[in-house]
Amino acid sequence: MKGIWWKILGVLIFIYVLVGGLTVPLKSGITSTDPGNALSGEHLALKIHGYNSHFYSAKKNRAWLKLDSIHALRALNFEVSSENDAVLHFDLPSYFPGKVKAQPLTLILDNEVDGVFVQPNAVFVSVTDTVHSDTIIPSGIWKSADLGHFHEAKSLHFPYRNILNETIRNTFFHVALWFAMFVLLIVGLYHAIKYLMTGDFDHDIQSASFNRIAIMYGVFGIITGSIWAKYTWNTFWTTDVKLNMTAVAMLIYLAYLVLRGSSSDHDRRAKMSASYSIFAFLALIPLVFVIPRLTDSLHPGNGGNPALGGEDLDNTLRLFFYPSIIALILLGTWMASLLIRYQRLKEKIFMSNQ
Amino acid sequence: MKNKSTIIKYINIVILQLTFISMATAAGSTEDFLRSTGKIYSVVAVILVIFIGIVIFLFRLDNKLTKLENQIKNEQ
Repeated sequence: MKGIWWKILGVLIFIYVLVGGLTVPLKSGITSTDPGNALSGEHLALKIHGYNSHFYSAKKNRAWLKLDSIHALRALNFEVSSENDAVLHFDLPSYFPGKVKAQPLTLILDNEVDGVFVQPNAVFVSVTDTVHSDTIIPSGIWKSADLGHFHEAKSLHFPYRNILNETIRNTFFHVALWFAMFVLLIVGLYHAIKYLMTGDFDHDIQSASFNRIAIMYGVFGIITGSIWAKYTWNTFWTTDVKLNMTAVAMLIYLAYLVLRGSSSDHDRRAKMSASYSIFAFLALIPLVFVIPRLTDSLHPGNGGNPALGGEDLDNTLRLFFYPSIIALILLGTWMASLLIRYQRLKEKIFMSNQ
Repeated sequence: MKNKSTIIKYINIVILQLTFISMATAAGSTEDFLRSTGKIYSVVAVILVIFIGIVIFLFRLDNKLTKLENQIKNEQ
């Protein structure tokens, strides 16, 4: 049992991430609303299609069209046709605050099962009558702006994000792979420095093995990211700065593997690859962490400040995201240790032959 | 001979992965299999890539160890 517990722990945590990460439902959301625009002062019958919603089972369905923080309009009637389909009836007032000719309205839905959820810019209202503008006091209909008490969703759920939908679960695999890769590279770097300091050949073996697994994770990360991009950004590869910089970083590390394979002299190879891996790691930091933040990127948290927060990574996602990183580090260490044992054995045979 | 069979297995896996990728590229329209039910199958695809990758790693290590074993056997 001694020495095997962390391997079992890694597997158990990964099973937890797989099962939990795939079974926890998404929060309710709205996939489509019809029609997309309306005229002020008219009756609006808004057909909505929900995702993971429970209009039928919920007893207290409420809906609003919200203009801004003080102006909102409650639905007169909530006609439920199925769990995910409903028709909302609104009487749009002829008076709209402000002088804007087209007003975007946000749809807010609330019931006791799903909690509250929002569709921004659900309806664009063309204001036909701008005569009133600022001088007239808002008509009574806007006074329903007080939305009252919202329900909280009952069960654990991941945030619903437009376009992302269920792919938000890829955070546990794609993003965690990169985090784990980084930790493994740091271990590889530590052993590379240790080798250069002590000249102990075993450190070279350990450094190379950890780097190899980290590069493998990096390749997984690029492939999984590419698949994710296809279903959210609609292309396998974009000119996104983070993608290209990561590709450059991965090529630098692939050159590391070529370098190790090219030299047959053990001592030379160890020295060369140890110093090269230090260089590669130092190149990786600006490529992955600095440059993408200087410009715009499709990745969250780039082109500005890091954003491991908000809706991109809320507390329910964290429940599985951090364990996933730990599991991938443990599994990676396991795989690296297999390579280390293989290399040590090979070394032993090589030495005994001489 | 054992090496050959492992290589064939390895090639099989690569082919499997290629068919998978072509399946993904064929997905042009907005309502295809991988996009159905909230794009959940793209998550399955991502997990499959990681699994297949680890299996390829295992096959390669298996191959290397077989070579080492044969080397020891020949020396004795």
